[in-house]
This record gives sequence, structure tokens and C-alpha cells, in this order.
Amino acid sequence: MHSHVVGNLYCTRRLWHKSSGEQGWLDRQRGKGDSTFPSIGELLSVSIEIDSRSNVAALAPLLARVALGERAAFETLYKATSGMLFAICLRVLADRGEAEEALQDAFVAIWNKAMQFDPARASANAWLGSIARHRAIDRLRANSTGINIASIDLAESVVDESVSPADSAQSASDKARLDDCMRQLDTRRQTLIRTAFFDAATYDELARRAQAPLGSVKSWIRRGLLQLRECLES
Amino acid sequence: MSTSSDRFDDDSTSPPPSDEIRAGEYVLGVLDSFERRHTQARIASEPTFARLVDEWENDFAALTIDIVEVAAPMQVWPRLRRRLGWPVAEAVGPRFWNNAGFWRGLTAFAAAAALATFFINRLPTPTERPATEEKQTTLPVTVLVRDDGSTGWIASIDVTRGKLLMAPLPHALAGDGRVDELWIIPAGKAPLSLGYVSNEKAYTVAVPPALQKELIAGATLAVTLEPQAGMPHAAPTGPIVAKGGIQKI
Repeated sequence: MHSHVVGNLYCTRRLWHKSSGEQGWLDRQRGKGDSTFPSIGELLSVSIEIDSRSNVAALAPLLARVALGERAAFETLYKATSGMLFAICLRVLADRGEAEEALQDAFVAIWNKAMQFDPARASANAWLGSIARHRAIDRLRANSTGINIASIDLAESVVDESVSPADSAQSASDKARLDDCMRQLDTRRQTLIRTAFFDAATYDELARRAQAPLGSVKSWIRRGLLQLRECLES
Repeated sequence: MSTSSDRFDDDSTSPPPSDEIRAGEYVLGVLDSFERRHTQARIASEPTFARLVDEWENDFAALTIDIVEVAAPMQVWPRLRRRLGWPVAEAVGPRFWNNAGFWRGLTAFAAAAALATFFINRLPTPTERPATEEKQTTLPVTVLVRDDGSTGWIASIDVTRGKLLMAPLPHALAGDGRVDELWIIPAGKAPLSLGYVSNEKAYTVAVPPALQKELIAGATLAVTLEPQAGMPHAAPTGPIVAKGGIQKI
């Protein structure tokens, strides 16, 4: 069901991408819940249990309660989203221990900044995901040991052709729109932008891995971003 | 041999990118730690720039929607609690009755109700008055409770006049120049500022007409510590001092 046309790029040091096979998302959720959170599960009443994907809209009211300092709501939010946010941290940080630290950083930030979340400006998933990703990138930059040296082949397409499950109508249409705009970029820009995003690689790292001049890599990515913005707004 | 490709390579020759592109670069994660810190400082201080970043975050979030979740290791939650300064072990059992906050809240509510009754009884009772005014002597109150369970303010909302009376239990400010700012938080939405409130004296807040419709049961009143300049602020930045849900209007 998922065709893996992802080349040798961002799978080189990541374990995560679409490896779940045919198992339904709900099954995975259930399995995860059982094995990971027995004690928290007892603390949470069934009525406030939130399913982070099938019920994306429910995260915004939950965040509003977290903003008011409700610890129970924070616990529910943690239970509903820590799996997704941990996966995002693991994408950026190959080191599992570092990814755990980044996940904690992210939830501390979520607890402290929940009042700044504005559903009119961002979806809850995007807001939470970006906090986790940036805390992970901060750690990656702070400790430059795990440099990724996997080479980038600029002629190779890394377009992900898989059909993703529609988590919600909104996120599915957002994804379709972005995919569509990404496809309009030339292969080189597309490859660099995807690799940059998934590996959180700096310009320097990208230039080294693609064996291309730094200035060229910068201008390819900047033009790619410009083209994306125009397409996304059209 | 020196040459165009070398010069092209030289970063100093490329013009600085527009804000739009710089925001995209930040979200993409291509900036080195120096540029990254600089950009984060801009996000914190320039709302227009922060908005550009939000836009890119929303767009690129689509790349992560089909990410396969990885269960967070069990030790993360207790460590997180410790970092937040919460007790690591939570009492297991019927939560409501074991929850100290619940009892503190209940005690605070009883105290506040007594105080409110005191206020109401002290109101002068004119001999003749129209029926509409009679109602106003029995406006419901909303109690804004502090984290430790004590009462911060008692709010009384007069919808017909678009006024909100905030009576504090007098308390000291943090001493760093920040003052108390009141917010109305509609259910599931971002907080909207109602401006300054006093920490010492009963203070009447004139609610802007656009916000009056938000003063309904189910919304929450909260007070945070904020810089005096620029009030009312677009969004809170400081910690919550006290909060309370509006039960009844």
C-alpha cells in the first residue's frame, strides 16, 4: 500500500518511515497504550481519552485547558501526542537518549507556552509538531557529534508517491496541496528541500553531502522556497 | 582557476534573504546554530516575522502527518513531571476525592461565596427601584483561584452594562515591574485581553463591545503577569496568577 520511493536519502539513519505495514492505526494506538501507560491509563477517565489522529480537532480544546494549568489535561495531551512527537524527535536525532531529552524539552515548552497557542493561526498538530521538531533541532545543533554524512544524489528523485491515510479531511487536503506544489519543483530543489526538512541538515551539511558549492545549494533551496510559497498561495 | 565558482561559493556575496525566505529556512532547519539563535530571537520579538514562520510551520506540517508514532519510553513521563516540579508519584484511585486541588478549590469557593454574600448584603437597598436593577444586586460571581487553591479575585460580570468588577484579595506583585492583566478565554480558543486589573483594589473593567459576547458561561477568566507597556496585549506571555471558569451569567 505504501510504495517506498524514498531512495537512499533520509532513510539512512532513520528507522521510522512508514514501516507499519498493513496494521491499522487504531490497532497500533491500542497496542501502544497497553504496553506503555498502564498507570496513567488508570488515572484517566475514559470520557476524556483523546485519539490524537482520528480526533485532531479535540486537541485544541485540550490545549486550552493546558493553558489554564490543568495538569490532568496535560497528562491527557501527553498520552495522546507523545508517540507522534517522539517520532518527530527521532527523525531529527538519531540518538534515542537525545530524542528522549528533546521530547521532554518539547513538553516543558508546551506546558509553558500553551497559552500562546491560537487555533486561528495554526492547527494543534502543526503547533505541537513544530515545537518538538525545533527542540530536537536545537539539540542537534548544540551537539554536533552525530553528523550525517550520507551522500545526496541530486539527480535522484525522492518523491514520496505513497498514498497516505486521510487522518482528517483538513490534514489530507493540506498534504495534497503541499505534495502538489513540491512536485512542481525541479528534482534538485525538491530533493534538497525534502532532505533538509527530514534530516534538519544545515546548508553546509547539504553542500558537503551533495558535493555542490554552498552558494548553489543556498540559492536552489531559496528559489525552491519562493516557488513553494507562490504555489501554496495560488 | 579561481573563479566564478569560488566566488559563488562565498557566502558574503549572496544577498541576505527576504523575511519570507528566512522564515522558511528556519522551519526547514537549514540554519546553523548562530543564524538559528538569531532567528529565534526575531520570532520572539517581531510578531510579523513570527507570523511568516507560523505559515511555513503549517505548510510543512503536512510532511509529518503520516509519520509512524513511536511510543515514548516509560521513564519520560516521570522525568517530565520532575522537571515541571510536580510530585513524581500521583495518587492512584478515584481522582476527584483524592485530589487536594479539588478540596482546596471547594474551600476557596466556600470562602469566596461567603465574601460575595457579604458584599451583596452591604449594597444599599433603595426603597423604590425598577425590576431590572433588582437583578443586578444578585449578579453571579466567578472566583479566580490561584494555583495553591487560594482566592485571587472575585469577578462579577454586568452584561447589560458591559462591565466587569474585579475584587482582589489584596496581594503583592512580583516586584519586577510586571502587573496583572485580565484575559477572557472562550472555550477552546485563544485568550483575549481585557486589560489591566488591580492587585489591591476593586477595579471595574469596561469590556470592549467586541468582547462582550465572549462573557458567557463556559468561558474562563484568567489573570497573568505582564509588562505594563503595550496593554492590552495580543497574547499572554507571563505565568497565570489565578483563573476561574464562568459558571453563570
